[in-house]
Amino acid sequence: MPYILIIDDDEDFSAAAALVLRDSGHEVHTEMTIANGEKSILNKPPDLIILDVMFPENGTAGFELARKIKHFDKSIKDVPVLMLTAVNSSFPLGFSSNDIDDKWLPVETFLEKPVDFDMLTNKVLEMLSIRK
Amino acid sequence: MISILTAFMLIGSFTNIFNNYGLHSDISWSLISAAILIALNLGYILHLSRIKQSEKYSQILTNIWFQIVADLIVLTGVLHFIGTLETYLTFAYIFHIVLACIFFSGRQSFAVTVIVCILYLGVVSAEKFSIIPASGIYENGILRQLIDNTPFIFTFNVFSAMSIWLIAWYLASHLSGMVREREYELAKANRDLKTAQEAKTKHLLRITHELKAPFAAIDANTQLLLNGHCGFLPDEALKVLERIALRSRKLGHEIQEMLQLANLSSIEKKSLKWQDINLSEIINWCHIQIKPAANKRNIRFAENIEDTHIIAVQDHMKMLFMNVISNAVIYSHDSGVVTITCRRHDGNGPTVIIEDNGIGISAEKLPKIFDEYYRTDEAAVHNKSSTGLGLAIVRHVAQTHNIKIRISSLPQKGTKFELRFTSSNN
Repeated sequence: MPYILIIDDDEDFSAAAALVLRDSGHEVHTEMTIANGEKSILNKPPDLIILDVMFPENGTAGFELARKIKHFDKSIKDVPVLMLTAVNSSFPLGFSSNDIDDKWLPVETFLEKPVDFDMLTNKVLEMLSIRK
Repeated sequence: MISILTAFMLIGSFTNIFNNYGLHSDISWSLISAAILIALNLGYILHLSRIKQSEKYSQILTNIWFQIVADLIVLTGVLHFIGTLETYLTFAYIFHIVLACIFFSGRQSFAVTVIVCILYLGVVSAEKFSIIPASGIYENGILRQLIDNTPFIFTFNVFSAMSIWLIAWYLASHLSGMVREREYELAKANRDLKTAQEAKTKHLLRITHELKAPFAAIDANTQLLLNGHCGFLPDEALKVLERIALRSRKLGHEIQEMLQLANLSSIEKKSLKWQDINLSEIINWCHIQIKPAANKRNIRFAENIEDTHIIAVQDHMKMLFMNVISNAVIYSHDSGVVTITCRRHDGNGPTVIIEDNGIGISAEKLPKIFDEYYRTDEAAVHNKSSTGLGLAIVRHVAQTHNIKIRISSLPQKGTKFELRFTSSNN
């Protein structure tokens, strides 16, 4: 059973997403802080990480963790990352899917909140099948 | 100066022109001076390229001062051969003084002026006291003799020249000082503006997140209930949940558009990221985003899109086309057709036409559709989640990109948006 780690400071959202993904047949664990998320990754490498961008202390903490993961050992650095953001990815303030590259933004894809859970489930399945 | 000296030497070598005008024909000094200047300049360049790597400011400064003094010495030599008192070449020093005022501080440019005065006084005194023989370009030395033998004229010539240099220094250094101060203020204002812009951007990002995140959580939990993840719910409860979901999405969408509009209004055109964009890729991207909603109502697309490149801001183009195309879908009837054409025009910008056969807009309401929050009654009934901001965003983007928009519409027949990009977008 694939193991998914959700790192998001919004407990309501991550609990809802976890419920949907468990119903789809995945093992899901949630963490609310970047520090705990990092520890969890190192303790038990997930098959996929769903990572929020903004956290209370640091507006770009999600980006920083995504880059940091790429420097972990082999069992972790290739774990696919699905980034979630409440900032519109086509909003001319932040970033877009065109910014995805290994140096600047080492994630596989973005999804914008509010997330359609059917879309999330399909995206997760797609990313897990690529990883296999 | 090298060119002038070389031209002077060439003219003198191959013609008798100098003799015809009472000038000395022996102008070997001009060749020697040009050669010295060439050698010096090559030396500066070589030395500068070596010390640039070490980036020692003091060495670069020494190089510059050496250049200045050496050039002034060569100019003084040229002046001696042309004539220190009987020609106006003394005013050639003014070029060096003005350049010094432009590139150096007040004190440094004054030092250059003092060096000029010292060199000039030195050569004139050396000639006066026969340390070096007086020279001059005129064959007939009467004018020089007159000046030398009349102390008043001699003194007047020397000190008026130096006075003019000092006045030139004063005026040029003050003007340069004013320009430098203005440049400094402009640079500071620019830095302050950039810092303020960055702070505003960060602030706006944070606001967007803080306003949208709660709606994401509300939406997520209503989806759980609507999709049966929490067990069976009676129909009435499901209807209520659907209304909650619809209103929360609408509010989230409205907040997003308000922030987009605020951002569009506040960012300067020159600070946007302009790049080469293929319009067909933008339109295809919008098509993919809107397709699920179109499929739910069996709305088809008819497309004729040519590859067309323009210079634009990518995010703006996505906003513009997403709003126009999604409007065409939203305000279509079920099983309708949305037609999208994109055509290049040689020498002019491309034209994009987006047409639907939906509810349309009456003629008297057309002029208002770009107003913020304006929605026709028919649109409000047809689409309860519309915010009335989409076309205001389209208008802003069109103004920024100099895009002409033409709309034609008939109630119950449909609406046609024609977007004409100007040649400045190429």
